[in-house]
Amino acid sequence: MHRPDVSVENTLRSSEAFAAPNRKDYIQTQKASHGRKIFGVFPGHYPRELLWAFDILPVEIWDPPIETSRADAHLQSYICPVAKRGLELILDSRARGLDGVLFPHLCDTLQNLASLTAHYLQPDLPVYFFYTPKSTCPAPSWKYYIQQTRGLAERLAERFGPLDPAQWAARSAQALELDRALEALYALRAGGRLVCSNAAFYSFIRQAEYLHPDDFLPRIERFRAVCEGKATGGKRVLLSGILPNPPETLEALDDLGVRVADDDLLDAGRRIPAHAPRSADPWERAAERFFALPPCSTGSSPLKARLERLAAMVRSASAGGVIFWTVKFCEPEAFDLPELRSGLKRLGIPSLVIESALDEGLTGQTATRLEAFLEMLP
Amino acid sequence: MTLLPAIRYRFMKDIGAPAAMRFAKMGKKRPARPPDPLFAPPLAATRRLKELISRHYFLSRYTRGAMPVAWVTSGAPVEILRPFGYYTLYPENHSALCGAQKVGGRMCAHAEEHGYSPDLCSYARIDLGHALTGNTPVGRLPRPDLLFASNNICQTVLYWYKILAARYGIPLILFDTPYRFADAEGGPDLEYMVGQMEAIIQQLEGISGRRFDREAFSRTIDLAKETSLLWGRVLATMKARPAPMTIFDAFAHMLPIVSLRGLESARGYYRLLLEELEERAERGVGAIREERKRLMWDNIAIWPRMREHANLFASHGMAFVTATYTNAWAETTPLLDPGRPLESLAKAYSCVILNHHLEHRLKLMERLIREYRVDGLVIHSARSCKPYSVGQYDIKRLLLERLSIPSVVIEADIADERAYAEEQTRTRLEAFFEALEEE
Ligand code: SF4
Ligand code: SF4
Repeated sequence: MHRPDVSVENTLRSSEAFAAPNRKDYIQTQKASHGRKIFGVFPGHYPRELLWAFDILPVEIWDPPIETSRADAHLQSYICPVAKRGLELILDSRARGLDGVLFPHLCDTLQNLASLTAHYLQPDLPVYFFYTPKSTCPAPSWKYYIQQTRGLAERLAERFGPLDPAQWAARSAQALELDRALEALYALRAGGRLVCSNAAFYSFIRQAEYLHPDDFLPRIERFRAVCEGKATGGKRVLLSGILPNPPETLEALDDLGVRVADDDLLDAGRRIPAHAPRSADPWERAAERFFALPPCSTGSSPLKARLERLAAMVRSASAGGVIFWTVKFCEPEAFDLPELRSGLKRLGIPSLVIESALDEGLTGQTATRLEAFLEMLP
Repeated sequence: MTLLPAIRYRFMKDIGAPAAMRFAKMGKKRPARPPDPLFAPPLAATRRLKELISRHYFLSRYTRGAMPVAWVTSGAPVEILRPFGYYTLYPENHSALCGAQKVGGRMCAHAEEHGYSPDLCSYARIDLGHALTGNTPVGRLPRPDLLFASNNICQTVLYWYKILAARYGIPLILFDTPYRFADAEGGPDLEYMVGQMEAIIQQLEGISGRRFDREAFSRTIDLAKETSLLWGRVLATMKARPAPMTIFDAFAHMLPIVSLRGLESARGYYRLLLEELEERAERGVGAIREERKRLMWDNIAIWPRMREHANLFASHGMAFVTATYTNAWAETTPLLDPGRPLESLAKAYSCVILNHHLEHRLKLMERLIREYRVDGLVIHSARSCKPYSVGQYDIKRLLLERLSIPSVVIEADIADERAYAEEQTRTRLEAFFEALEEE
């Protein structure tokens, strides 16, 4: 059975170099000591490097620890909790400290939420919208992505001053560096050469949602230095879906001696491009990066491509099965699931679906299903 | 296309289908019904409508080998397919028919048995239920050769059509219409959409082995535009007081504008319908016998409850005179311009209500309320349809603030009859009726 290395876990837990900084404190420091502007960013794909180049810190809004009450007056009961919690945060006094909100286009719910926020709920808060192409025709999509990125830059420049080409080039290069560092970390894990627990891994990875790359990049190096080692034993699984919440599920996997070998989570592994861009031009590079992202339920890549990728990941990480970790009422993922699951089954790869409401913790029923699933894995 | 199936299709089109329709009509001859105390006599055009739709589904069974079949989303620019000779079918339309016949729940259950979540759009679940089981209670759809979708109505159709593409192993073409978060005209969005159109035409040429006939394309656009204008005039007859038809009628009569757009039969149909409605309006014949209040409907119909709702509202003297949903096919298609086909197509299809920010929607509703002299609004919060439903609570609040328009929200679904709480809905509606009467 796989047990996380106790000394590694102790190091990760005790050292400030790895523990996730408190978001609020971090944001305050970023503002105070660097004079950075702060943007709330809703889930989706967006050119982070462009915001960095404007000296804006994107803080992503996936599952803020916040009870929804005010958002219920604006969204029906059948709307996903990611949107609900995000809206709650926007309606909260904490949103007053934001210099802007960015809505990358992801799904039907978020597109309307963007309009709701901008036109009716927070008209004084600058809201930016970034449409990602979904067309099945590659050539117009490519050009359009670049135009969208330029358009966003122009809108940002109106408020935050002109884009500095040197900063843009530097931050674009840094985005690639970050991709490579994360890719390397993922490769180590898939190859069984990372000894930290699942909980520690995702707690660390999710820092990418709000840490500035100047801070996060060196952290990755240190994390890697501490965690690199031969991981022994344990069943191996692959995660797919939206985001690793509730975290108790990861702890349960740790307790059961199961190792997450790789993931296709929209919030994590699915954001690492499959290959590094080659272009020297930052605009082109941003497009290359976007189009190299793995197949996603929210885009127009064929289901077959996603299935093939999952199967290849399972094979290369020697995983015994796939756990789909979705969010209640999330249409894009829910549509993909049956085809993916039956495709995996045909390949002899078992799978399980866990649907998260984001605020329930790990229910007894889910824990039982998880245990039963893990028992049948090789 | 091979010769024998083509001959068979031609025969069925010219001789078989008319004969089958005549036969069906004979079989269905019923004694004349006594006049309904709530409604005016049914529209004569309704019979023609039934024929038109039955014929369309009937003929679709003879397409195999005779012509390629495309499954299309209701908001896709179908005009581009017409010159390639595709027989087009609309799964959404078929799902609505299943819903209206109260078999939607059963079809959804088939999809759910295969792992599709009950939280998904019921149009999609019904269609997937059909794709998985191979038949439907309202006829049989021929297997598609091509899937053609546009996300101007929702992203849901993209997720749904990706599954169909995987199951049938056929190409999926998506016409991507960026969500109009701002009002800016033209620019990169338009360029992107026109670029896609050009690429799609090339792709269709490759798939079909036929050259794109630009003249036929312009003619189709002309036809589609005229049909949309006619549909707009059909809806505008409801401005008359009393309104010669209600939205419950319009929900049924919108079938040709959705499914047969760009075809001669749809244009002919709306000419007929318009003539009848204008004549009724002139004579002061109202669709419901006593029109006391005029209402607007927001969101897609609750298909399984159409009849009950029509009776309920009519019994209270409430006439639905406008709806954002039926208006969608009259709102932007008039922008079509045969002289600038691709550009105008892109504009017309991307400007539809569901692809537009909420302030646009609110302004449109304000305009409809004024033009149709609406007293109250019924908001259908449809579990199926996130793009239609997210924002409705705020629209309700704002319409009350801005125009003092009272409204009621009913939580239900478009085609899955299982998602309907009878008692709760009735109580809400009764309270709404009372409030309106007191106005
Ligand atoms: S969880 Fe799903 S439905 Fe919710 S915002 Fe994300 S993609 Fe959209
Ligand atoms: S009902 Fe709504 S979600 Fe479903 S296909 Fe129609 S527009 Fe899309």
